[in-house]
Amino acid sequence: MSKQVTRLIVNGRSYEVAIEPWMTVADVLRDELGLTGTKISCGAGDCGACTVLIDGRPVRSCLTLAITARDKNILTIEGLAEGTTLHPIQSAFIEHGAIQCGFCTSGQIMAAKALLDENPNPTREEVKEALVGNLCRCTGYVKIVEAVLAASERIRKGGK
Amino acid sequence: MGQEFSVVGKRLTQPDGVAKATGTAQYAADIKLPGMLRAKVLRSPFSHAKVKRIDTSKAEKLSGVEAVITARDVPQKTYVSSYTPPPKPTTPPATDRGVFTDKARYVGDAIAAVAAVDSRTAKQALGLIEVEYEQLPAVFDVEEALKPGAPVISDTAENNLVYETVYPMAEGDVEKGFAEAACIIEERFSTNRQEHCVMEPHACIATYDANGNVTCWSPCQLSHLRRRTIAELFDIPLGKVRLINPFSGGSFGQRLGIEGEPIAIALAMKTGKPVSLEYTMEEDFAVMVTRPAFKYTCKMGFKKDGTLIAMDLDVTGNNGAYRGAGALNVSLCLLWGLGAYRCPNKAGSGCAIFTNTQCTAAARGAGNPEVMFGVEQVMDLAAEKLGIDPIEIRLKNIKKVGELSNMGTPIESTAQEECIKLGAERIGWKEKRGRKREGVVRKGIGMATGQHCSGAYPMLLEHSSALIKFNEDGSANLVVHPGSPGTGIWGTLSQIAAEELGIDAEDIHIVTGDTNATLFDIGSHASRSTYCIGNAVLKAAREAKGQLLERAAKMLGVSSNDLEVKDRQIYVRASPEKRISVAEVCEQAAIRSGIEVEDICGKATWHPTNSAPPFGAFFAEVEVDTQTGAVKVTKFLTVADSGKIINPIAVEGQMEGAMQQFTGYALTENWQINEDTGVLETDSFATYEMLSQLDMPETEVIFVEKPCPSGPFGAKGAGELGGVGVAAAIANAIYDAIEVRMKDLPITPERIVRALKVESCA
Repeated sequence: MSKQVTRLIVNGRSYEVAIEPWMTVADVLRDELGLTGTKISCGAGDCGACTVLIDGRPVRSCLTLAITARDKNILTIEGLAEGTTLHPIQSAFIEHGAIQCGFCTSGQIMAAKALLDENPNPTREEVKEALVGNLCRCTGYVKIVEAVLAASERIRKGGK
Repeated sequence: MGQEFSVVGKRLTQPDGVAKATGTAQYAADIKLPGMLRAKVLRSPFSHAKVKRIDTSKAEKLSGVEAVITARDVPQKTYVSSYTPPPKPTTPPATDRGVFTDKARYVGDAIAAVAAVDSRTAKQALGLIEVEYEQLPAVFDVEEALKPGAPVISDTAENNLVYETVYPMAEGDVEKGFAEAACIIEERFSTNRQEHCVMEPHACIATYDANGNVTCWSPCQLSHLRRRTIAELFDIPLGKVRLINPFSGGSFGQRLGIEGEPIAIALAMKTGKPVSLEYTMEEDFAVMVTRPAFKYTCKMGFKKDGTLIAMDLDVTGNNGAYRGAGALNVSLCLLWGLGAYRCPNKAGSGCAIFTNTQCTAAARGAGNPEVMFGVEQVMDLAAEKLGIDPIEIRLKNIKKVGELSNMGTPIESTAQEECIKLGAERIGWKEKRGRKREGVVRKGIGMATGQHCSGAYPMLLEHSSALIKFNEDGSANLVVHPGSPGTGIWGTLSQIAAEELGIDAEDIHIVTGDTNATLFDIGSHASRSTYCIGNAVLKAAREAKGQLLERAAKMLGVSSNDLEVKDRQIYVRASPEKRISVAEVCEQAAIRSGIEVEDICGKATWHPTNSAPPFGAFFAEVEVDTQTGAVKVTKFLTVADSGKIINPIAVEGQMEGAMQQFTGYALTENWQINEDTGVLETDSFATYEMLSQLDMPETEVIFVEKPCPSGPFGAKGAGELGGVGVAAAIANAIYDAIEVRMKDLPITPERIVRALKVESCA
């Protein structure tokens, strides 16, 4: 099989990328487009570190073939801030100490984005359920939950 | 108390927060250098086997392959991956590990490696390397490995004994102590290995230039020590080796040593091109070091009133296939266990044993959580036998100021008593302990204490150095080497520097993680960074501040003794309106003073003379399903004395993270190999179960901030303390619920059910 030129829309920008059929969304983002904010941890769909949004839905980019994302909207961690203005979830993660080593952070933030887009006012339990697939070894998750709840409040009060 | 702080103690954000929240922080696998090759490693499928013949010719011919190397192509020297030296020079330790091996000692041992234009090609080439192995009998269990006639694993030990040790601080007469005891408890415990589960799979990059300089991007925690390891292994002058820490996706002790770095360097030297080596997570699970497994006997004798009067500990550690920091953990177990409480008669011994399993190193706590799992259960058993409350027996035996810490230095400050009492009150100990046990799901509450260290002095060399140089705008660059372990240490060190210099934390710019730029430093391990590196930073800041004030004094026409600096302003104490900004002084010093120019720069080395133990009390509430054996930790409370807390957010995060790691260690994280083949069966997050969001208990962290006299602004270590008593408190809570002692980790549902059956038969 040979490479196919495929259109991907990443963070609102259209890319024509020559991709091999076996390449995953994570491969293309990291190796072809230089968007290394999306991390590969387990590479098997167990940990959530590689979470990106495709047409608004959270997916494991390490398991999703790039070819299946043709013409779809992919949102990665690099697409959240507007210029130097951070997204409220990013600000909340920083302010609440929800980031330690930072390796799972992109995935946590993207999973939180998917949750808050769908449910702007989640309960603590709903946050935990939405992020259950995103493993973290540093924080004990406590400050991640606090950050997501704080971000939801900020967004409801008019932040984006 | 009562000292007013401007920066210390504030809930400030981390200097690297934005980089991490926006995905721009670069980890090793994110770095791409021009012409960079990708490497893959061929690993032994057998736990013990000789390489009889190896043929790389087909792999070399594959298009895109640039180099294939084996044991023939690398220095014939050996090394120890995670060696940490003691304070006094001693004979160097035996080394036993090569870049590659021609005798595999565990499943995953490195036999050969390929560098190719991309990782798919490299992987394909691995399949073309032909290896003929001669399988040897293997041994995985420590008792089996010690039997006469057991397979000999290491070239450095005929009997599979890595080393034997006795407790160096033995006291009194242990036999006499036990003879006088009203109550003696002796129990045998076992703890399993634990994977560090660093979320970032191991990755590193190496380059080798025409001038013979090696540069390696490595996530290791002890860069300056590992630079020495690499220079010696490859016989390269030390100044030509440079280690750079990219951001590191977790450490927890896994990264004390080097793992893929020598392979990447060997390939870079062979090809002259940059080489990136990324492990898969399966590879990481199977090949990277783990927490060692221990078996130990803990015997403690008490007077009728609960006073501990005799203690004996005998510890055996499963070291794995090669020497490293894992073996040292046996000595540490003795220090932690025998030093936890005041005891006039105590002794201990231990040994570490080679087995055909993956290597071990320190993991967060380095033996302390392991051994306290047993010690704290014995304390509870004694309390029960003597009819004393578990809280009371501990209050009776904890150490006070002036007594020797677990590391053997005089305790300067302790709030352990306050921690225990406050925790007991907060959790409702009196109301909840010893409730009626009925129904299928039973509730229990348990506790444990903990004493750790702030650096492993005097066991290990623990000095640090820092350099602070002011910029013309009044900000300062802090050149210091904690590396980037992801613990929040950058913020902590910034706050210490800013407090002393009278500027804001955001005025401090950290320069770190580059052995060419930073002064020699041990690095980050043993909860040393806040205390040891923090003290070096404080000392350097004082030096820089002295220069700053001298300069300001001349400009203001006063004596420097009359000056204060706060909020970026230097002012005369008696007449604060007479002032000048830090920025003005720095600008004048650097640019505007003709021949009077100078660099305002403080440099300091700090060496500890105390281990400054942090203390804690740990409380767990559990629900045990007596039918399924499932244990749910419903609440976990940690009360910690880490001295003055420099940044509460960071230290809370350490304690909360420890609850995740050690609740998993206690209950679910169950490292398993195939008993016949030695192949790791738990090599993924699907099979090795660490706690998710929904598995976490309700958590609470309380600090008792008693300043430590020798700590920077009164601070002590924190990160490792958080894990010390977690498994012990959970085990004690399980006993409170079901009256069954669980002496083996992890406490799986199967073990609970089995233990309940045994109990009901008895």
